[in-house]
Amino acid sequence: MISRRTLVKSSAGTVAAAALGMPAIAQAPKKISFLTWNIIDQEPMIRGWIARFAKDRPGVEVEWLDKKGPEIPVFYQTQLAAGTPPDVINTQGALGLEYAAQGALLDLTPRLKDEADVRARFNADYLSNWAYEGSNYMLPFYITKTLLFYNKPMFQKAGLAGPPQSFDEILASAQKLTASDASGFLTLNFDWLYWPLYAMNEVELLSKDLTKATFNSPKAVEVTERLAKATEAGAINKIAWTGRWVEPNGAFAAGNVGMLHAHSPAYFFVKGQGKWVTPETLGVAHAPGGFATPNSHGLGISKASKSPDLAWDFLKFVTNEGAQELGVNRKLVTGNVGVDTRNLAELEKNDPLVHAILKTQLEHTDKMVGNWRLGNDSRIKEAFWPELQNVLLGRKDAKTALADAERKVNRELKRG
Amino acid sequence: MMPAAGRVEAWRDDWWRRRRTRELALIACFLLPSATVFFLYRVLPLGWNVLLSLQYWSPLKPARWAGLDHYEEMLLHDDVFWQALQNTLIFIGVSPLAILLALGIALLVNSDLKGAAIYRSIIFLSYPLMTVAVGIIWRWMYDERGGIINFLLRESGVATKPIPFLQSFEWALPSVIVAEIWQVLGFYMIIILTGLQSIPPHLYEAAAIDGAPRWARFWRITLPMLKPSLFLCAVVGILNSLTSFDLVYIMTNGGPGHATELLITLIYKSGFGQTKFDYAAALTVVQFSLLLALTYLANRAFGGNAGALQR
Amino acid sequence: MPAHCSGSGMRSRSTYLRHAALTLISGVMLVPFYWVIKTAVTDENIYAYPPRLLPENPHLFNFVDVWYLIPFPRYLLNSLIVSALVVACNVVFNAMAGYALTKRFPGRQAILLVFLSCMLIPFQATIIPAYLITAKLGLLNSYLGLALPLLSTIVSIFVFKAAFEAIPPSLVDAARIDGLSEGRIIFRVLMPLSRAALATNVVLSFIWSWNAFLWPLIITREPSMQTLPLGLARFLSYLEDTTGALYAFAVMVLAPSIFVFLMAQKEFIRGLTSGATKG
Repeated sequence: MISRRTLVKSSAGTVAAAALGMPAIAQAPKKISFLTWNIIDQEPMIRGWIARFAKDRPGVEVEWLDKKGPEIPVFYQTQLAAGTPPDVINTQGALGLEYAAQGALLDLTPRLKDEADVRARFNADYLSNWAYEGSNYMLPFYITKTLLFYNKPMFQKAGLAGPPQSFDEILASAQKLTASDASGFLTLNFDWLYWPLYAMNEVELLSKDLTKATFNSPKAVEVTERLAKATEAGAINKIAWTGRWVEPNGAFAAGNVGMLHAHSPAYFFVKGQGKWVTPETLGVAHAPGGFATPNSHGLGISKASKSPDLAWDFLKFVTNEGAQELGVNRKLVTGNVGVDTRNLAELEKNDPLVHAILKTQLEHTDKMVGNWRLGNDSRIKEAFWPELQNVLLGRKDAKTALADAERKVNRELKRG
Repeated sequence: MMPAAGRVEAWRDDWWRRRRTRELALIACFLLPSATVFFLYRVLPLGWNVLLSLQYWSPLKPARWAGLDHYEEMLLHDDVFWQALQNTLIFIGVSPLAILLALGIALLVNSDLKGAAIYRSIIFLSYPLMTVAVGIIWRWMYDERGGIINFLLRESGVATKPIPFLQSFEWALPSVIVAEIWQVLGFYMIIILTGLQSIPPHLYEAAAIDGAPRWARFWRITLPMLKPSLFLCAVVGILNSLTSFDLVYIMTNGGPGHATELLITLIYKSGFGQTKFDYAAALTVVQFSLLLALTYLANRAFGGNAGALQR
Repeated sequence: MPAHCSGSGMRSRSTYLRHAALTLISGVMLVPFYWVIKTAVTDENIYAYPPRLLPENPHLFNFVDVWYLIPFPRYLLNSLIVSALVVACNVVFNAMAGYALTKRFPGRQAILLVFLSCMLIPFQATIIPAYLITAKLGLLNSYLGLALPLLSTIVSIFVFKAAFEAIPPSLVDAARIDGLSEGRIIFRVLMPLSRAALATNVVLSFIWSWNAFLWPLIITREPSMQTLPLGLARFLSYLEDTTGALYAFAVMVLAPSIFVFLMAQKEFIRGLTSGATKG
């Protein structure tokens, strides 16, 4: 609805421009590029966003690139080295922090300070996931964290009342669920997704200032030994420590694993492959203690961007106007509080199971673990995980492995 | 004034010299296009890697001199490097077996056997398949639940429990090697077949007339004349661990633990996974030196000049 | 003659053995393929247990999906142009280089080793410098840029070298006396006698350029310049389901390479066969 005043003003402006002989849109089209992580199935939606964004901003073009997860580091690093990184980028997990530490991302703190209303849109706990050394580098695109899925029929058959409420109960329930062709517990193991198992035993990976490894404690040794023993006994399915995504989720989908500790997207994979999954048969719960590892997607701006203001504009657009559509289409939680509240209310009516799952993503957000603000997260992971895996698969004893891991982690931390 | 004979000789020497220069110039010209491509995309990048291996560098920070720090780190403190090195050597060590198998197949197929063309095509079929697709299909074949190999082993009674091929520390590397051999067999076969085509038939005819038995014909004629092709196969075999990158990445990603980690996957992970490009460069230099040494030895073993028969 | 009689008896037995060996090997090579094709024509979950040996409800819709879900004709055209460029240049450059390496000249062993060592540098270690160099040349996002790193390959050079060396030098000398230039010698005299090497060059350079994935990923920015294997990535759905569409696509990417190989097949038939195998 254009008011008469606006109409007069704009036509006067055009006439004036024409009269003065100025070319109406003198600037070259401002172009920004937008790199997303594996969201090509939502092509119509994103093209819609771009169209709407560009419509209100004449002369603006948005180039959209989508790459699969394994391809993004190669692509982005090469573009960084060449000085032409995409303006707005989407990363998963701690990769955003690593790029921030590298100096590749624009510090968003000043803008968030100036526009407090934008900052208020987002769930503060999730937003802080991308705060490196006190500065914000990314806004949430969509968020996930781990929860416990369980196979209700299997629980009933084993005589278990409900999901485990403590670490001991996890192991005990897993043991009860074990049979010749069934196992009790599975977890995903990439990106620290298994860390809640340690957090609920009060094991800290690093000191508060992130300079020293603190996980080599008798408690951690004990926890690891118990996990290894349970794995050997078959209570914990070995795939938990050897698989990545397809294998563990597929095993749970096959219907003979009692519990799956994974983040919310696992539901869609399991539902797709598991014929037994219905609201009555799939149980959803928090891990004991409410501990969870987040694995969220963030959006940031490259420091080398030539149009940072336009990029920031786009960022705000995507995480506000775009978030609504994204949350509905992909059935996920976006981190935008208003959008999520609305979407969850809808889901409660239409799909109670998904509603239950997504609700867990917004509860206990103060208990998120496994998300240290490390600029060299992948190196720390690489120093720690193989040693742990050795113990869990029975190749090494816990004491030696944790000592070796401590040595390696401290080396990486010192290197900085 | 020179005597007439001397003048002719001088002119002839001159002619030879000019001709020789012309010939050398021509050789240089003929080598130029290929050499340019290699210079741009192999030599220069290698130089970049060598330089980078001596610095501390990441894409956005200025470089600092590191000297041999990365090499020290690699050789003295990185047990993953030694594991990857061992795995790479195992990969390389298996290739002679694959080449022998391909030699046998090539000989079988390179005959007037009816349907030889069909066998040839079937055996070659695996090579043009994208390595990513090969990795995916073999990962499924080895799967404990739905994989065909475990299924057949259980049905035939050879195994009572499914064998976790790609998840066990013992079986993972051999499993990947089997998949790799499956794919590269056709390549060896085609190289050897090409070599077999260039053996002049009259050699065999002469040998037949002399009454030489079949095995002698093979040892004295076929095998020596196949030296260049076999040398090429040997070099490609040395490169196997490089070309298997996609296979390892898809099937096991270096796991479990680092049981299937190869130098090439370590290079890639250090560079693009952990943003340690300088360390990855040092690994590249070390790997290159290792492979160069092996290639040099192979060249010597085949008599130099890439296995060609001296004329 | 008795030798002949027993000869023919032995021949049929050795023929039988040869067929048996080749059939066994072919079977082993084919099993994975059968599964690729079976999955490509059904909607089965590949990880279901027990694995079904025969396809259930086969259909060709996966292939149709592939055609429509991505700009297939455009990607196909891009791949064809790049591969044509690569094959043409490979044949010419490699023949020239192979021929040059058959001659004696000072430093030949060194040059040989330098060429061989170029093979030992893995692509993954050259990504960033290769990108920067291509950017400097102004060839980003272009067909020539896609083809450039593959315009010549070491293995193929040595295939030509080996083939040229097997040709009697008297033929070459005769041609030279007839006044042919060196270039003509290669293409009029040596090549016709090295048809197998030429076929191998064509087949291998086609396969390597057709299947290239990482380089096109880095070098193309616009979707309209992407090659066929990049389109493959689309079928690894965001949940990493291994669906029939993925395998249908793998089959479609594979088909042209097989076609090229079949066309080149006849060059491997020629030969000394009877001489080598007669008892």
